[in-house]
Amino acid sequence: MSPVFSHGRLRLYLLKLLDESPRHGYDVIRLLEDRFMGLYSPSPGTIYPRLQRLEAEGLVTPSQEGGRKVYQITDAGREELAGRRAELDELEAEISGSVHGLAREVRDEVRGSVRDLKEELKQAAREMRRQQRHENRSRRHGHDEHHRWDWRDEGFDGRVQEFLDRTERAMRRVQLTEAQLRECAAILDEAFERIRQTLKTPDEQRHDH
Amino acid sequence: MASWKLEGSGKLTFDRVDRVVVGIVEGAVSVVGTDGEPTLEVLELAGSPLRVRHEDGVLTVDYERPPRPGLLSWLSGWGRRYRAVLSLAVPRDCRVELRVISASLMVSGLRAPVRARTVSGEITLAGLGGTADAETISGSIEASGVSGDLSAGTVSGDLTVAEGGGSVRAHTVSGAIALDLEASGDRDIQLSSVSGDLTVRLPGISDLQVQLQSTSGQVASAFDELALDRTPGRHAAEGRLGAGTGRLRATSTSGHVALLRRAPETQA
Repeated sequence: MSPVFSHGRLRLYLLKLLDESPRHGYDVIRLLEDRFMGLYSPSPGTIYPRLQRLEAEGLVTPSQEGGRKVYQITDAGREELAGRRAELDELEAEISGSVHGLAREVRDEVRGSVRDLKEELKQAAREMRRQQRHENRSRRHGHDEHHRWDWRDEGFDGRVQEFLDRTERAMRRVQLTEAQLRECAAILDEAFERIRQTLKTPDEQRHDH
Repeated sequence: MASWKLEGSGKLTFDRVDRVVVGIVEGAVSVVGTDGEPTLEVLELAGSPLRVRHEDGVLTVDYERPPRPGLLSWLSGWGRRYRAVLSLAVPRDCRVELRVISASLMVSGLRAPVRARTVSGEITLAGLGGTADAETISGSIEASGVSGDLSAGTVSGDLTVAEGGGSVRAHTVSGAIALDLEASGDRDIQLSSVSGDLTVRLPGISDLQVQLQSTSGQVASAFDELALDRTPGRHAAEGRLGAGTGRLRATSTSGHVALLRRAPETQA
């Protein structure tokens, strides 16, 4: 899963294009290319997920036309567009008014879609590695009782890394307070303590009682 | 030779430009290809004046007295005295050379060769038809729709390529490399890293001679045609995909190497 729509400007522009008239995905791509003055053409791989996302949110609705999917804006889509009209006008003025505005728009769009892709590839690679370790383990040992479980084989190192990435992203989104930091630190301590308890050998557990 | 000294923000236009050279310190430089008149826009300028020279189709933007970064001048904050944010619109077959210190760079919509160097800034490349050569130490490099040959290097920054079309030669130390490649023919892809992960996604049908290797990282491939070799100190996958006319080689010391297969484009 890629975190599609990390950047909201393209979404606004997609709605505007579909407000003008119902359009097929390829028309949308061609029009976006014009918008970026031919500097950059978004790939189907970046546009289709966005259209599907708009569809899931009920802002556009698809219909079949001669075997092709045509997207049409809904009332909810028009409402969102109307609410953000000023933002859109500002954006349009910026792009048409200067080289800088256009360059910035292209840069933001490229960075946004490339970062989505980076995240998608990273997750896909991690998942493939996890599966491969799993298969190797099954092949080597079968599922017998004497199997030695290895946390790396089970993909725990990947999960820890993923945990760090997700936590970092979540923390970056907010202005952290001291109280929140303390609370998070306490949660980490608690998690570690529980893992330590879980990993105790039977002897240690007996000793505890 | 025409020459200008810019003290603040402003705009200049030129008749013919077929080569652009920019050497600034901090800030941002954008260069976009256009069918219109070559234009230089300076949006922000702080500190020393910028020198702009135009001679025989070559446009140069730099400082008359470039900073000499020594320890003392670094401590005194010389970087802040050389900040500039500028955008250039140039013809699509204009050659571009950018050499900056901590500025971020963006180049888009050109057919001619591009060279971009920065120490700590990010580099964004989009829609380039000529060869592209990008280097940064700690910044990341992001490329989309580069159909010419790409050569890229970073130390700690990540390199990500979307819709890569040509040959790619890339090296990082700790930065991760992720490539999403279009249908490939006679191309040569060579990636290497010390500890950064290398991830390549190929179309389902590819014609490449593949060699993946990592000393202590894991090597994984979604293509059954490749033979996996897992011995301590050498994890590798090798083999031929399709006609094997192109070449893909990815080597890391401790990073993971993964070869992914792209699902056929779902037509919405």
